[in-house]
Amino acid sequence: MKRALCLLALSLGLAHAQRAPAGVLTIRFLDVGQGDAILITSPEGKSVLYDGGRSESRMRELIRQYDVPSLDLIAASHGDADHITGLIPAAALFKPRFFLNNGVAATTQTWAKLTNILKLAGTQGLPARNQVLNLGSVRLTVLPPPAGMPAGDQNLNSVGLIVQYGSFRALLTGDSETEQTRAWLRTLPAGTLGPVDVYKSIHHGAANGDSAAWLAAVQPRNVVVSVGPNNYGHPTGTALNLYRKVGANVFRTDQQGTVTVTVQPGGAYRITTEKGAATPAPARPTPAPVVPAAPATVTYSNCAAVRAAGKSPLLRGQPGYSSKLDRDGDGRACE
Amino acid sequence: MPTDNTPDDLMPHPSFVTVDGLEGHLARVELPDGITEDWPLASLPPGVKEGDVIRLTVHGGDLEAEIDHAQTRERLTAAQAGTDALNAGAPTGDVEL
Repeated sequence: MKRALCLLALSLGLAHAQRAPAGVLTIRFLDVGQGDAILITSPEGKSVLYDGGRSESRMRELIRQYDVPSLDLIAASHGDADHITGLIPAAALFKPRFFLNNGVAATTQTWAKLTNILKLAGTQGLPARNQVLNLGSVRLTVLPPPAGMPAGDQNLNSVGLIVQYGSFRALLTGDSETEQTRAWLRTLPAGTLGPVDVYKSIHHGAANGDSAAWLAAVQPRNVVVSVGPNNYGHPTGTALNLYRKVGANVFRTDQQGTVTVTVQPGGAYRITTEKGAATPAPARPTPAPVVPAAPATVTYSNCAAVRAAGKSPLLRGQPGYSSKLDRDGDGRACE
Repeated sequence: MPTDNTPDDLMPHPSFVTVDGLEGHLARVELPDGITEDWPLASLPPGVKEGDVIRLTVHGGDLEAEIDHAQTRERLTAAQAGTDALNAGAPTGDVEL
């Protein structure tokens, strides 16, 4: 995989929300409180909404805020209310062509309302199977629930999505639990999962979601936890420690609002937040101070990227220096 | 959740809620108006599962909660039929959006 250059930019208090720009891939981890909603817009202006959060009114606000002109597909990772409620206004407003789902009906009124609106909209259901969805020049690989998951358990039947554009990769897997991720690890061909540049934390950082074995395969460089005020203890210390151990930057929608990833053709990407800074990877000895409207901080995924940028050797304190690039710990990385 | 001393006249007829999901010692419950609330799992019948429809009734000032298996089955059958109908005829192979 080509090495992408990640530019982490801070846009403190400057949440000048607008339509996703043309010519780049835009992924927005929308701030929907306790729930998931990810808006993916291709360079050609085609959009997918993967989950919609727990509130119809909040989703309407976000659609207005980001001036969403259309949706070609909506996806329910699974049928829980904190993932599908916001899909209802999205379906009513945009009448998407397709609805990707796990095929497992929920008994709630929320599920019934969503499927009724989709039926009226003439939307075609897409039961998750091994399939690629081409969103313009962006490739979306569907990860269907593995065979043998209990039929009545929504979380264990979460639908995953790999987003690819140039060398950039993102992975979204709803509220999968360890039984499902173990099955994926057993059945997916080697190299299917990681490394990924941006990864959505499983199940809002619950203790029964991400595991060391799963993250070893995913190899996330950046993790986004989609979370709001909740009674469940999300995100758990267990999950946050796992992200620290793999050296990932952690973003949280409860602390930073909507997290936006902008990917250039080829795969170089930039992550911006509505407010606050990412939790830096532990590999950084001293977190950079939060300065409003600070210039972008450069992060190199490996020494090849440092050399390609002509910055070798990197000295401690210089932009992009990380102790994970400095194996002998002498303050000079990628010598 | 209604308390044990809810007067009878506040719940003269059975009320139904649906278990949207289980989160540790809590259940996320969908109320009749479609809003979800977190209830202690201990306040629901033993063995309750995601998707169960719960019938709430008041007898002599006591709130009783029981799994309505028949309504759960009916809801699931109807919801699955609707979902299957939506998914019928789905394209196979790569899809151009």
